[in-house]
Amino acid sequence: MKVMNQPIEVISYTDDKGDIRPIRLRLQLGDEPLKVIKIDRIILKHVEKLAGNRMLLFRCQSFDGGVERLFEIKYEFNTCKWFLYKM
Amino acid sequence: MERLIFHIDVNSAYLSWEASYRLQHGAVLDLRDIPSVVGGDEASRHGIVLTKSIPAKKYGIRTGETLYEARAKCPELVVVPPRYWIYMQCSQAMNEILLEYTPKIQRFSVDESFLDFSGMKNLYADYMVLAETIKERIKTELGFTVNIGISENKLLAKVASDLKKPDRIHTLFPEEIEKKMWPLPVEDLFMVGRATSTKLHNMNIYTIGELAKFDPELLRYKMKSHGDLIWRYANGIEGSDVRKSNHIEMKGIGNSTTTAFDLEDRETACRLLLSLCETVGMRLRDSENCCRVISISIRDNSLASCGMQKKIDVATDSTRKIYETACSLFDRLWKGRPIRHMGVQVTDLCSGDFFQFSMLDSFDYEKDKKLNRAIDEIRLAHGAKAVMRSSLLHSGLSPMSGGVGEEDYPLMCSIL
Repeated sequence: MKVMNQPIEVISYTDDKGDIRPIRLRLQLGDEPLKVIKIDRIILKHVEKLAGNRMLLFRCQSFDGGVERLFEIKYEFNTCKWFLYKM
Repeated sequence: MERLIFHIDVNSAYLSWEASYRLQHGAVLDLRDIPSVVGGDEASRHGIVLTKSIPAKKYGIRTGETLYEARAKCPELVVVPPRYWIYMQCSQAMNEILLEYTPKIQRFSVDESFLDFSGMKNLYADYMVLAETIKERIKTELGFTVNIGISENKLLAKVASDLKKPDRIHTLFPEEIEKKMWPLPVEDLFMVGRATSTKLHNMNIYTIGELAKFDPELLRYKMKSHGDLIWRYANGIEGSDVRKSNHIEMKGIGNSTTTAFDLEDRETACRLLLSLCETVGMRLRDSENCCRVISISIRDNSLASCGMQKKIDVATDSTRKIYETACSLFDRLWKGRPIRHMGVQVTDLCSGDFFQFSMLDSFDYEKDKKLNRAIDEIRLAHGAKAVMRSSLLHSGLSPMSGGVGEEDYPLMCSIL
């Protein structure tokens, strides 16, 4: 996986315990058209506190047209922004 | 009771914190692995090295020198600007981890803390294991390394954490002083700065050991109480408490700033004084004190500094009174050389509950007090720029000068 750290749009689901789960993300890489990726499985969820900055890290899996894809996305509590961290 | 004190010191704090934050946001390069420094803004002439990485140290770059000098030593040097809010966040996160181990913590500065583990032997049987746990947790969770010094008092713990960097644990118990502390150069001792070390060198004292064995009477004769203090420190004698709050009774309040351009005329210089007085005055009123002594300091473009102070008849907390006195001091002190740095300090504080009026003074204190209160309230609610002196409009000066621009930012202190 390569480090990208690209801001992305995300649809997520939050339950009544405050547990966040990303469902779908939309991104545009360079000149390519907008692309929607469905998150089929969350393999790992981890709260990161690097430099005192809290971020939620999700390692996710998607099966896009039979191709399995692995990537990491992050949610920054301070700014409420989502990032595609690694792909 | 036997005491056990930890001193925790973040390695190249500003730089490590910046590096850790950048790595979290996808930076590929770790600033700590390349020659890099955190430096002020050169355009506004705050261009000095605040923190350096260890590879930068190998080029002979020192904290406090100008970025120009630093670049001359290492042309490919990476300079990053300071971001104080990251530092506050890191310091806070580290403190949260430390609080899980002991409630007795003194945050000595933004990147240093003293921890008291006295009488916790049943809880933490082995202090080395404890130190290792804390160090590793900070490294893995927060992404930066610390040095931990362990001893029986704060002074020895502080010297110990300074021994060899980075990412290490050192002990310096009284029986180890002779071996570990005495061979060090005398400058490494807390409270021995540039001025003191010159004096000590003149007395042929170059190591801490030489200072420890020196005649304390002679030291006291030459350097008064400070001589006494550093002699005791050299012998590892220090007994202050790990204070929960770093707050000590304030002796004075002061702010200073380096200007973006040289000030060449009286009018602009006085405007800067006014801008500084605004900050000092507001802090003074916030502390509910009045001052009786006002002093100013000036540094010109050849970096020569001078200062002057004046005792006033009526204790005051009025921005205007402080400003008037500062201006009269300025007129007596300034010799016409272009100015690059100015500061205003107020000392000899007394309670601001009531004050003595002077019969010879026609100043309307009540009216001025109301005005100051109104301005303070507006600024507290809406920020420093919400209301400003019209003379500072378009002057290139900030409505309130001095400080690092962050509230409650803990700075270094000379009292343990």
